[in-house]
Amino acid sequence: MFESTIVNSVLAVILTVLVCFVISTLLPGIERKYVHARIQQRIGPIVIAPGIMAPLKFLYKKNVEVSSPVPGLYKSLPIICFIVVLCILIALTPQAYQIPALSSLVAIVGFLKVEEICYVLMGALSKSVMSLKMPFPDIVKGGAHLNAQRSFIEDISAKRSLRMITYGSFPLYLALFAPVTAARSIFLSDIVAYQHAHGPFLFTVAGGIAAIVFFIGYMIILNEYPFSIIKAKSDVIEGPYMEYAAKYRSIVYLTRGFFMFVLGAVFSVLFIGVPPTIMSWGILVNIVVALIFVFMMGIFSAFSPVFTNRQLLPTILGATLLGILSIVLGLL
Amino acid sequence: MDEKVPRSNIIETEIPMGTVHPAALEPYRVRFFVEDEIVQEAEITIGVNHRGIERIMEGLPVEKANALTEKICGICSNSHIWNSCRTAEIGLDIEIPERATYIRVIMGELERLHSHFLYLAHGCEVLSHETFSMRIFYMREIVMELLAMIGGNRVQYGCSVLGGVRPRCDLDEAKLLRLKNDMDALEEGLSNFVDRFLADSILLSRVTGIGVLPQKQAIELAVTGPTLRATGVARDLRTTMFEYDNFDFNVITQPDGDVKSNLIMRALESFESIKLIRQAIANIPEGKVINRDWEMFDTDITESYIEVPRGTLYHSYALESGRVRHCIIRTPSMANIGAMQYACIGDQITDAQLCIVQCDPCFTCTDRAIEIIRR
Amino acid sequence: MGLKSFSRARAIHVMLVYTGGCNGCDIEIVNSILSPRFDAEQYNVFLTWNPREADVLVVTGPVTHLNRKPLEAIYEAIPDPKLVVAAGSCALMGGVYKNCYGDIPSEEIEGPVENIIPVAAKVPGCAVRPQDVLAGVVTLLPTLLDAD
Repeated sequence: MFESTIVNSVLAVILTVLVCFVISTLLPGIERKYVHARIQQRIGPIVIAPGIMAPLKFLYKKNVEVSSPVPGLYKSLPIICFIVVLCILIALTPQAYQIPALSSLVAIVGFLKVEEICYVLMGALSKSVMSLKMPFPDIVKGGAHLNAQRSFIEDISAKRSLRMITYGSFPLYLALFAPVTAARSIFLSDIVAYQHAHGPFLFTVAGGIAAIVFFIGYMIILNEYPFSIIKAKSDVIEGPYMEYAAKYRSIVYLTRGFFMFVLGAVFSVLFIGVPPTIMSWGILVNIVVALIFVFMMGIFSAFSPVFTNRQLLPTILGATLLGILSIVLGLL
Repeated sequence: MDEKVPRSNIIETEIPMGTVHPAALEPYRVRFFVEDEIVQEAEITIGVNHRGIERIMEGLPVEKANALTEKICGICSNSHIWNSCRTAEIGLDIEIPERATYIRVIMGELERLHSHFLYLAHGCEVLSHETFSMRIFYMREIVMELLAMIGGNRVQYGCSVLGGVRPRCDLDEAKLLRLKNDMDALEEGLSNFVDRFLADSILLSRVTGIGVLPQKQAIELAVTGPTLRATGVARDLRTTMFEYDNFDFNVITQPDGDVKSNLIMRALESFESIKLIRQAIANIPEGKVINRDWEMFDTDITESYIEVPRGTLYHSYALESGRVRHCIIRTPSMANIGAMQYACIGDQITDAQLCIVQCDPCFTCTDRAIEIIRR
Repeated sequence: MGLKSFSRARAIHVMLVYTGGCNGCDIEIVNSILSPRFDAEQYNVFLTWNPREADVLVVTGPVTHLNRKPLEAIYEAIPDPKLVVAAGSCALMGGVYKNCYGDIPSEEIEGPVENIIPVAAKVPGCAVRPQDVLAGVVTLLPTLLDAD
């Protein structure tokens, strides 16, 4: 009996992860084709192109020697990122609620932190050809500041991701802990059970405010356009991902789509109380939530320029204050 | 406005960008010296594009040399051929038919439109605002189609020749009507865009007060063109050019010299260009478009200055038995490089590329007369 | 058609390198990808600025002396299979700049692009039209799809 439960649970988790993964590969294409291209009055790529076909294509490319001081670590980082996202999804499934250490908010926050740390390492380890390595006679007679220390553009990117860790991702974590104030427990099973009894947290005042904060945090942690200071095209080009080629780039692409879906699932667990599992129709709610988030993110990013510190600080400060407000409301 | 001083004593690190970079449409190298992401000094290296076109022009028959000047720049190609023809026409005292002057003005203003639209689109792209960039590129297509209609090519139209314009570029009733209708469409599209842009508080907060170039500095650095006018100096060579005698237009100025002023400057100037083209369509005289009744003789060095989309363009050469001698070309971006380096100072590195773009660089034009010393 | 060529046909990443042309080709190519009028993305051609991501390198300009090494470095950085499109008459044969000094070999112009990196497709025109660039990238497809 006990063994069969374990086998069933593991099977259910694997199936859930597979279904979620397949759906998540469509999300970047949906954002590009149905949101960005529609707003920009053009046809746009086919839906499967950015999410599925591009990673597949990169899988078939020959690998190249990455230019990085620690190539092994640099190459392993996207895999770590992917595993972290996978772990978050597994922690969200109801089967995992049996393991309290995994299925608590603290674990999810920890996983998200690992993800952010990976960006810092990626940025610091990437030494792309596009800035300092470009063979150009810079240090010549008459040049300015010949003795200055020289950095790659990815170094700025690493510094920026460090800054994002210190204050940028604050709204997301506040929003994650807002449901805790209502359910009075950091365990996902309690939060889900509370919402089954009292209705979704989203439809309370505190929940509504926290949902807005969560959305801002969602865009910040996904580095989507207004908040994409660590990979803004106008200065750092692609920032931490500059040197990934072939299969590593494929993982980077897949992780992005998967992360979009998983954050949507986090929202539906914490704010609606529907955990992602293949065993119930509730998974449709997860998919719809993920789609709504992608559509909203697409619309926001299509209509805003990349932020610099001058816009970023007030936005994050405002979101943080809103997050605190929602927590206070929840406690009252 | 305070004077910005390069603070070279607190440089933390140097960040080079280029020669290939998404924010730059052309190859150049820029080294930013930053302190905590704030640019303290910038060094732009040009010369990457040097091809030596004046050397090719030396000794060519003047008609051929004129056609060659188009290849200096793919954005303001018409300005170069116009000014090159103008130089020879001043030297040889050729009278240009009235109709040809009008067509040249129409081409010049169409080119100003497409250059300014490119500026706005590129500016939005550097702001990472893909949607606005696409919208402007879509409007720019109207102008490109018009240029292709008149000149036969989308980029290098070869409109002006010695003594007038090519007969192919003559405008008949149908072309004038299309020009007129497209100007209406363009004005509507542009005014909608400007309204939308100025209502967007996020975009405005991103461009206001960035890359300030004070008026005093602009004059000191001998900045020309819209970049100078955006600092409040009403200096436009079109007011002194005989081609524009019969036209009525305003010289637009903006007060601040920041990115916002520059963007608005270009948009308002585009409206003036539309106005000028409308006047030209309404008043275009009948007659021939080319005067072939002139004689070649040797001249001294003749100079000609015209106002092109980016500022003052200078061409000068002497003619010796029909061939070009001692050719010198000076393009507006040459003067504006100083402004680009200056405007970056004190801004974040994300804004620094924007500050360079706000001066509307065209290094392809500029890279001609340098001496490369190689060991 | 295997999965390899199927996926390759549906995601082509193009990178642009300007090597000192007159800007005409550059802007027409950016135009062909950025403007909704020509919209290369409907053919699943994406613009990228990262050589590690690119499949097709579009080169314009006659390759001036200072641009030679950056061009080589960027070409080296692209993972295989990679193809090069030379766009515009300067990239094809040096354009008007090639014979700058007559019989004396020019120190400035290293081009045409063929001299420096292998070129798979040539798009003529001065300046190239956006339609031609798209056609050039599309003609490369069979070569790209069959590459291992």
